[in-house]
Amino acid sequence: MSLVEYDVIIIGAGVAGLTAGTLLAERGKKVALVTAGEPTVCLSTGCIDLCSGADNPEEAIDALPAQHPFHLVTRQQIHQAVDDFKRKMAGAGLAYVGQTSRNRLVLSAIGTFKTTCLIPESMQASPQSEEGKIHVVTFACLKDFYPGYIISRLKNASFSTYDAGISTTMGIASLFEDENFLESFLLWVEKQNIREDKIAFPAVLGLESSAAIREKIEYRMERPVFEIPTIPPSMPGRRLFNCLKDSFHRAGGVIYWDWQATGAEKSGRLIEAVITESHGRPNSLNAQAFILATGSFVGGGLRADHSKIIENIFDLPVYTPGKREEWFEQDYFSLNHPIGRAGIVVDGSFRAVESRWDNLYVCGNILAHIEVLKNGCGHGFALATARAAAESLLEAGR
Amino acid sequence: MKFEHCIRCTICVENCPVFRVNPDFPGPKQAGPDAQRFRSEKDKTVDHWVMLCSQCKRCDMACPSGVEPAEIILRAQQRYGIEHPRTAAHLLFANNYYLSQLGSLTAPLANRFAAAGIGKKILQRMGITTYIPFPEFSFRTMKKKPKPAGKGRKKVAFFYGCFINFYRPDIGAGIIRLLESLNIDVVLPPQWCCGLPALGNGNLALARYFAGKNVDSLSDYVDAGYDIIYSCTSCGLCLLNDYQGIMDIPRAKKIAENTYDLHEYILRLIIEKNIRPEFRDVSRSVAYHIPCHLRAMKIGYPAADLMKMIPGLECHILDDACCGLSGSYGFKKTNETTAVQLGKRAVSLIRKTGASSIVSDCGSCRMQLGGLSGMDAFDPAEIICESLAIDVKRKNTKNREGRKIARPLPSV
Repeated sequence: MSLVEYDVIIIGAGVAGLTAGTLLAERGKKVALVTAGEPTVCLSTGCIDLCSGADNPEEAIDALPAQHPFHLVTRQQIHQAVDDFKRKMAGAGLAYVGQTSRNRLVLSAIGTFKTTCLIPESMQASPQSEEGKIHVVTFACLKDFYPGYIISRLKNASFSTYDAGISTTMGIASLFEDENFLESFLLWVEKQNIREDKIAFPAVLGLESSAAIREKIEYRMERPVFEIPTIPPSMPGRRLFNCLKDSFHRAGGVIYWDWQATGAEKSGRLIEAVITESHGRPNSLNAQAFILATGSFVGGGLRADHSKIIENIFDLPVYTPGKREEWFEQDYFSLNHPIGRAGIVVDGSFRAVESRWDNLYVCGNILAHIEVLKNGCGHGFALATARAAAESLLEAGR
Repeated sequence: MKFEHCIRCTICVENCPVFRVNPDFPGPKQAGPDAQRFRSEKDKTVDHWVMLCSQCKRCDMACPSGVEPAEIILRAQQRYGIEHPRTAAHLLFANNYYLSQLGSLTAPLANRFAAAGIGKKILQRMGITTYIPFPEFSFRTMKKKPKPAGKGRKKVAFFYGCFINFYRPDIGAGIIRLLESLNIDVVLPPQWCCGLPALGNGNLALARYFAGKNVDSLSDYVDAGYDIIYSCTSCGLCLLNDYQGIMDIPRAKKIAENTYDLHEYILRLIIEKNIRPEFRDVSRSVAYHIPCHLRAMKIGYPAADLMKMIPGLECHILDDACCGLSGSYGFKKTNETTAVQLGKRAVSLIRKTGASSIVSDCGSCRMQLGGLSGMDAFDPAEIICESLAIDVKRKNTKNREGRKIARPLPSV
């Protein structure tokens, strides 16, 4: 028995968990979210991939294999999830652009193009082909960004280097929050005699005030400015996480940090509480219903031993693609590793099939048959299934 | 220590307040798991920058792989502390308990010294910064009260901590009256500094000495059926985590199993329908700055839950920013710029809420945020007392915590 009883407990603070939690809190539920640490969304590019198999993500979704869980979500739910997301992010000062009917390209840090659907406004001016005339501004000794990769692939690109006195992504991003630094940077960049149409930066243009910083540079340089996502620490990923977290807080949700759920209290067909390890008294939290959004292997929802794949908290049945030797392809860079299909199989109500829990819903990257890398359905899939799972939970409560 | 579990995702670095503003600190990943691979038992430590870590524990909270970089750094700090001559500031703050006893005994004198120009100069010479006024010693500290007075439905032993004892016994008295009004018997057991200041200044032996004495004393009360209550979240974290962890104190588990945050305890009694306090209207808007160490306690924000029950009270919860003072950390000259920059950021977030005053469980958070903003800073217990019409003779802090800062702040 725990201290406080919640209506719903969400496990996992990624895009799926925070989205489901916000929606439920907005519908009047008393919601808590528990998380082992910060989610993999912080490491992401901040772009919302919906489905990258075709120019039109909606058609790409239709063409996914029959067992893909994207088919459990209606078109209307996808639209609502995306509209809701865009509205909330814009309200939080992190505007996203793009439509569910059209994919677009984003220039990557190695000069290739990534296909995605919704992008933060800071990447809106990213060129759509190798012909793009861009000038890359980078920073002395910045370990995580080498403009040479981009220059070698894009014919009409050049670069210059500014010495910020600091060589880390985080450090430079927080310097940009300082007006004096921004001003001295602008004085320098104005002298660079940039001729290209657009100016590109590694994604270090501020943390909280990124939109204002970018607009100021655009105004002074009289041309579009865009960010190129970097390897972690990824500022666009961090900004996305911060805004999702803020909207969850604003809706009235509570987050328990460093609260790694290690098991559950069960009774009949119901989960009654989740448990975490503690130095003192047993630490548990009760709720009427639970949403499992712990992600896949990297997120911490699944783990594998030598013979099987295990769901870490409730020991739900996991779909496993054959024997261990069949989990991988020989080509490391192949997008077809069968391990990408491992996960929890759910029915239309987003409850795990072959499991006896009536009040446990599952969404996001832990679901089976997603193949995120192959299908390019990352955060967009999380947004859509989170909404569908939350709606199913509300429906069952009626 | 699980430094091998680090996948180098840098989420800890993104959460490190010190790294954000001080380029001399390599961040929790490098100072923690990365450097740990090179730390050898045979060689003398050279990583002086471990002392720049403020032990806010935000990296421990954020790590998705369970590495606990702050814990790794804390251990490195202890070793550094043993192997290298300690600065005057480190020595003083490690022994803060004894110093404060002296300060309280000579309160009128000590306060005048700390506030006077010459006193400040001497403090600065010793490597202690004076950008916010030193807290004012209280001549009357908490009186020991080892036996219960009445026959309440619950018996608690109150671990009040040094801040309440030496600087704000008025808050301590308010908490006692609050508990008594809820029909709870309160005793003040013999107690010493929790040990955290010693630990934070690289003196594990002294920390263990304090911890051992506290456990001896508190253990008797647990045996006699008392629950232990703390109100300072850093003392609490130390009692619950560090006694069992780095200090390795026997019987620490028993203490942890019976120790509660003040508000967690009251909330529990309300939920179990043991008490039904009648909260009265407190029409005000407050910014609740969550201390980093409350966040690290894994119990949610119980004071926020209580304040939600108070009609008329608008409570903005802020848990993203560290105040930067971190106990004695920000009082050291070497950390002054870091502390001020972080404090200013926390204050700007508070101002954005439009709240009229600050609330925080931690005395040093209140000192920093009140000092930098000039706003009133309250303990949540003070707000709850107000709502329950419990008279608290609040120490007049306006002229110190809230006064205009005499010296211009270091430019950041």
